Amino acid sequence: MLLAAAWLAAGSVAAQQVTLERDSPLYTEPRLDAAQVTQLKLGATGEVIGKQGAWLHLKTPGGSGWLFSFNVRFPSAQAATGDSGAGAAAGRLFGPRRNVSVTSTVGIRGIEEEDLKQASFNAGQMKLLESYAATREAAERQARGSSLAPASVEFMDPKK
Amino acid sequence: MTGAFRYWIAAAVMIALSAYAAAASLDLGRIFDVGRDLRIAATGLDEKEEIAVGREVAGRTLGAAPLVPDPELQAYVNRVGRWIALQTERPDLPWHFGVLDTASVNAFAAPGGYVLITRGLYEMLASESQLAGVLGHEIGHIVQRHHVKVMQQSAAVSASARAAQHGDRGILVNNLIGTGAEVLARGLDKTAEFEADRIGVVLAARAGYSPYGLVEVLHLLAARSAEDSSLALLFKTHPAPGERLTQLGDALVPRVAMLPAGQEPAIRPVDPRTPPPAAAKPAAAKGARALQQQEEGGSTTSPGGGLFPGGGALRGIFGR
Repeated sequence: MLLAAAWLAAGSVAAQQVTLERDSPLYTEPRLDAAQVTQLKLGATGEVIGKQGAWLHLKTPGGSGWLFSFNVRFPSAQAATGDSGAGAAAGRLFGPRRNVSVTSTVGIRGIEEEDLKQASFNAGQMKLLESYAATREAAERQARGSSLAPASVEFMDPKK
Repeated sequence: MTGAFRYWIAAAVMIALSAYAAAASLDLGRIFDVGRDLRIAATGLDEKEEIAVGREVAGRTLGAAPLVPDPELQAYVNRVGRWIALQTERPDLPWHFGVLDTASVNAFAAPGGYVLITRGLYEMLASESQLAGVLGHEIGHIVQRHHVKVMQQSAAVSASARAAQHGDRGILVNNLIGTGAEVLARGLDKTAEFEADRIGVVLAARAGYSPYGLVEVLHLLAARSAEDSSLALLFKTHPAPGERLTQLGDALVPRVAMLPAGQEPAIRPVDPRTPPPAAAKPAAAKGARALQQQEEGGSTTSPGGGLFPGGGALRGIFGR
């Protein structure tokens, strides 16, 4: 319930503190070729004041700037204490701004490995699933409605 | 192949799978057609077989948790998913997407175009671009045929192929059913998960979304307590979200300046009139039938563990 309460505190303005997962430069702009404000060390902390794409706008003792978001971790809910909801920092930044029913039932048991092992084919639900299939046209229509324009993007290789 | 022999295979399969009465919906005799053994070992399942295996696996997952009773939501997720799938080299698979009515946080892919996301995960999402990242990851597993490759790599399948060469088809069939099940159940290695993450980012970007939806979801998950019961299966079977972030970040560094900004449309919420998912009954003692959806008859597990123990060929973003 504590987690649920923290999660639902979305919109509150508690500090969204993050910890550096590795040494990382803080840039003046959200670009890898921008000038550096400072070099942050593994374990350093900062306060998130905004986000843009892959970047977090961070306030640190050494100055404010932009950090590649992959290089930080939000505190886990487990580590959160009291009602500050520190564990929900990621939720406040990236989570939904609405009440949700499921997260308020955290602690209620969902499906687990054993359930999958023991479940048998549900023909009725499969029929239902198949009835919801979208045609190519329906998918394209919805995408246009959301101003989604296809882009040419090559697949990525792992880091060499 | 003779009719009598086909019958024998079908009978053997049904005996092995007596636990799964509904497996009759799938022509397993065709999938494990002895005449195709060598080709499967060499090249994996063909597309029809892949779809049939995936349908069986997805249908069993639906036996563990039904769909959220919100038809508009389900149709919406299908349109989003299909739009992303259209950006792949397998746009015309029979793609099916569903939201499972469980508080667990997870998503699954089964071969041939079946993608299931749990309501627990869906309701964590803040935007359609985050949904696109999750579905893109799952679609990546399917497009890359990760499950089929695992099966191919199996020494068990190779052994079966060798048995076939010596003409002992009875041994072959049993091997394919028994050890083939293990192969399907083994789950993917980290490499495949990291690859699916990279594909998820690219597919979301191709579909016109912000490429970083999946990254945001991984941050959300990394911040969830490992002791949160709704994430139990997720954390048990996958690389930690933090590790995935590191891998994905490293792969993205050279690309980050070139990726389009993309859109972040609002996500359709679950109809607020939909009641919360019922708590799953504990799977309790071995042999207990948990969460069966009006399936009658049959024992619980076959001695060999069945065709798809542990969710079988499910490939999850956070599950298998």
